[in-house]
Amino acid sequence: MMANGRGRLRIPKIPVRTVVIHAIAWGIGLLWLFPFLGVFMTSIRPVTEILNGWWVTNPFNPTLQNFQTAFTDPTTPMWRGLRNSFIVAIPSTFLPIFIASLGAYGFARFRFPMRDYLFLTIVLFMAIPQQMVAIPIFVTMINAGLWDTFLGVILVHTAWALPWILLFMRNFFQTLPLEVEEAARVDGASDFRIFYKIVLPMSLPALAAVAVLQFMWVWNDFFFAKVLLFSSQNLVATQLVPLLSEAGPFHKDQGILSAASIVVMIVPIIVFATMQRYYIRGMIGWTIKG
Amino acid sequence: MSAKGERAKRSLSSSFQPYLRVIFFVPATVLLIFLVVYPALQTLLLSFYHPPGAFARLDNYGSVLGNRQTIDTSDWSIPYGTLVNNFLWIAIHLPLSLFTGLYLALTLQKVRGASIVKSFIFLGMVTPMIVGGIILRFLFDEKSGIVPRAFGLLGISGLAIQWTAYPETLLFGLIFGSVWLWVGFSLIVYSAGLTTIPRDYFEAAQMDGASAWQTFRKVTWPLLRPTTLTVVTMTILWELKLFDIVFAATNPNGGVGGAADVLALQMFRYAFMAGNFNDAAVVATLLTGLTLLVSTWMFKRIIIGKGKNAGRLERALRRLWARAKPQGSVLKA
Amino acid sequence: MLVVVVVALLLVTNVATGLAVYYLAPATPAPTVQPLRVIGPWSASEKDKFLPVLNLFKNTTGINYEYITTRQEDLQSLLPNWFAARRAPADLIFMPSSFVKTYGTQGHAADLAGTVSESNYAAGALDPLKDGSKIYGGAYTGKVKPGFWYRQSFFAAHNYQVPTTWTGFEALLRQIETDGSVNNTPIISGDGVGWPLSDVVEHFLATYGGPDMNKQIMAKTLPWTSTSVHDVFANYLVRTLTPGVVCVASCWSAPRQWDTGVAEWWKGDYALYFMGSWITGMVTPNSDIRVMPLPGGVNPSGVVFAADYFFVPTYASRLNDAKRLAAFLGSSAAQQLQVTVGGHIATVTGVPLSAYPAVDARIAANLTGKVILSDLDDTIGGTFQGTFWTQLQALWANPSNLNAVLTNIQAAMPP
Repeated sequence: MMANGRGRLRIPKIPVRTVVIHAIAWGIGLLWLFPFLGVFMTSIRPVTEILNGWWVTNPFNPTLQNFQTAFTDPTTPMWRGLRNSFIVAIPSTFLPIFIASLGAYGFARFRFPMRDYLFLTIVLFMAIPQQMVAIPIFVTMINAGLWDTFLGVILVHTAWALPWILLFMRNFFQTLPLEVEEAARVDGASDFRIFYKIVLPMSLPALAAVAVLQFMWVWNDFFFAKVLLFSSQNLVATQLVPLLSEAGPFHKDQGILSAASIVVMIVPIIVFATMQRYYIRGMIGWTIKG
Repeated sequence: MSAKGERAKRSLSSSFQPYLRVIFFVPATVLLIFLVVYPALQTLLLSFYHPPGAFARLDNYGSVLGNRQTIDTSDWSIPYGTLVNNFLWIAIHLPLSLFTGLYLALTLQKVRGASIVKSFIFLGMVTPMIVGGIILRFLFDEKSGIVPRAFGLLGISGLAIQWTAYPETLLFGLIFGSVWLWVGFSLIVYSAGLTTIPRDYFEAAQMDGASAWQTFRKVTWPLLRPTTLTVVTMTILWELKLFDIVFAATNPNGGVGGAADVLALQMFRYAFMAGNFNDAAVVATLLTGLTLLVSTWMFKRIIIGKGKNAGRLERALRRLWARAKPQGSVLKA
Repeated sequence: MLVVVVVALLLVTNVATGLAVYYLAPATPAPTVQPLRVIGPWSASEKDKFLPVLNLFKNTTGINYEYITTRQEDLQSLLPNWFAARRAPADLIFMPSSFVKTYGTQGHAADLAGTVSESNYAAGALDPLKDGSKIYGGAYTGKVKPGFWYRQSFFAAHNYQVPTTWTGFEALLRQIETDGSVNNTPIISGDGVGWPLSDVVEHFLATYGGPDMNKQIMAKTLPWTSTSVHDVFANYLVRTLTPGVVCVASCWSAPRQWDTGVAEWWKGDYALYFMGSWITGMVTPNSDIRVMPLPGGVNPSGVVFAADYFFVPTYASRLNDAKRLAAFLGSSAAQQLQVTVGGHIATVTGVPLSAYPAVDARIAANLTGKVILSDLDDTIGGTFQGTFWTQLQALWANPSNLNAVLTNIQAAMPP
């Protein structure tokens, strides 16, 4: 409440328009959240309670039983899925970043014939869908003995990430001022030294953005995992969820399925919540040519 | 711009250890060639052969494209075939998610707590799409799903059914459900795009007495063109590559009567369930052809800068990029 | 100098990743001196029922085994690649008959004609695996799809009688509906990927079209679009699916996940459930469970008997021991032991009815006088199966589309 100079209180009028806009915006926001709320509710209640709809609140007996079963089930335990997802995602994040940064620096700073055309070609690889490489990779991995191994999946994810990280990091490197690097060169530093002593430290925000995006992309991936990982011990989290949902030997009820879904979702959500600035920057940045 | 650009074009002036520079490229090149380029070419080659190894020219393309699973124009009823489904998805999903995201971005500019609302909406993008598909499947369940129940409450008993059991409701349910999942992308990118438009434009329009709609049409929309381009391209690519959602919401066969079958799912089925690598390669090649078409169109506009407003596009995008600095969250913009 | 450091860094990161992956990843079993490897689709409780039989084999022959659960859908795509590399992941693998025969004729499955003897088996059990004089695999126990299951107590409580004619069946459905004795449709449609619906259809065909109809369809001599097949659909099944004809709405529920459906049906939400004989092991007390085949129809009618087929890959590392296991699985000793736990029906002769639990004995007894048919979609296999299932789901959703459905199914038949 504001007081004007004469000491009388004046209540500011809130225009109807603002109220309406706020109502619409928040309404839509809550509407969008609603299905996730449903998943959450289904996961913390015994399945018998939600068979007629999770919004039925009578009876309401919250329990962590679903999570427990999802985690510890002997044939498809989520703890193993999570572990495997980390085993795949972490190297698949750091390896391509390292490899692509090297190449991106080369594209940004070195001059050689056909450089830009080569770069464009590599960037166009981003447009290829996973399906285009799946069959030969499947056969190659079997022949190399890498099928159904984590190393195989990691290599594939690494190679797959290279085009977009190359694009992203090259654009970024090009925005860095040349003077610092030139000064170092005058001092007699080699290319590698300049790269990792000077350029990389300056690039940490961009690298963070790339890491966040890549980690989430690999974590959420299903197709490559489905093609390349097969025995129960090796399945990643995203593969376990559809297994639990299909009628058959691994079938679980909706409550356990919801708990498992939340377990899989929670990791990228946490990553997003903590690193969202980097995530947003990465998402917008990688479509731009510097 | 010109001085900076010139500097960017110059490379580091030195021929110091030129041969060692190759090492910068070696790991990337090796991986790319063995795991991306060569396999892609192999798949392309596969599509031209029959299983025992006989050269088939375009026969496989004929049989796949003529197959009802791919294009079914025998009648006007679902299933329409995978190729048609993907295009249908684009036709419905693209405008819906784009304009909903745009509307929300515009509206949320003036709303308190906008960043929280944006996080709610963006949740769908962060979720693995396989989980998204499962969520959709149960969203439409007759007994425990919100959507049939909501329609029942509204009195539309025709839709208070098990959506996944009927071809029409399955296909359109999944399309609308995927809008729910993908709107976050459009919202975030447009939000960032809106911040790149200088305030002066709006103030000038206001002083000229322009209405909200006129401002939007003459000022906002044209200046958002690069953003729109990005959203359109990424969304179309996503719609072409649909796999996880349909797989999780239905089954590898695309649901009731194959109503929600899509190209990527068809490829998976041919290759890894029927063992027919050659037809799968055909589907994959078709899919890649479409995605390449879309991508080159976009890259041409943005990277090479063809088409009018090319320079403006680049500058606008550069502003966009600069805006998304870590110091400020775009969600809070 | 720094070059060396960077290269070393590269090496270290890669080695570290490799080591991490190696130690954190589960070890694959060493390829030397391995036990006899058996791959089957059963896990959890079903697996527990199978292991005693393998144990009996181990005790009598001294051969140690290792059983691995793998889904058959996964094996469908993987095994061809193993075969192309002239290797196999196990010494004995359970797969559908269409798979065994296809790959057997290509030389990847060992000919077991000298190992399993047809005389041991009930008539026709090994037919789907035969090619001339060669038999590419063997048959283990199987499950029958005998008809609609119901609770005896439920029928008694509402005074329902098992119908003996089709009109009686329709009348029963109408009665259940008018009585309101269940909260839903009289019949529950099981689903999942779709095979429960195909079981229903095969039963209708075998009863009202006769076992020859199933056989001719499987032999591809009778198209789905022919009048006889169309009429079986139109005059029987579709009548119950179309709202307003027999029941006010459809007599069938919208397809539900078949395993949760068992609980719902047993609870009383539905009256009738078409399922396979494994359902007897899924409900308690199973003294209450009964089954009624579709009444009337061609005499003798057919009953679909889905046996679990297995084969021995030609690349098995322990070929002879695997053949011994194959012979054992095709013996009455093994199958008798298996049926005692319930839910299985023997494919070999020589297993007395007394070995079965009561409810299974009734089912086995019911088989006499009927023609044994193999599972239609399993026998045809390939891409047909998936389309078959989804088209049937479409038929359930829209029964008036019968002609389109039959056309689509016929179009999916392999040449």
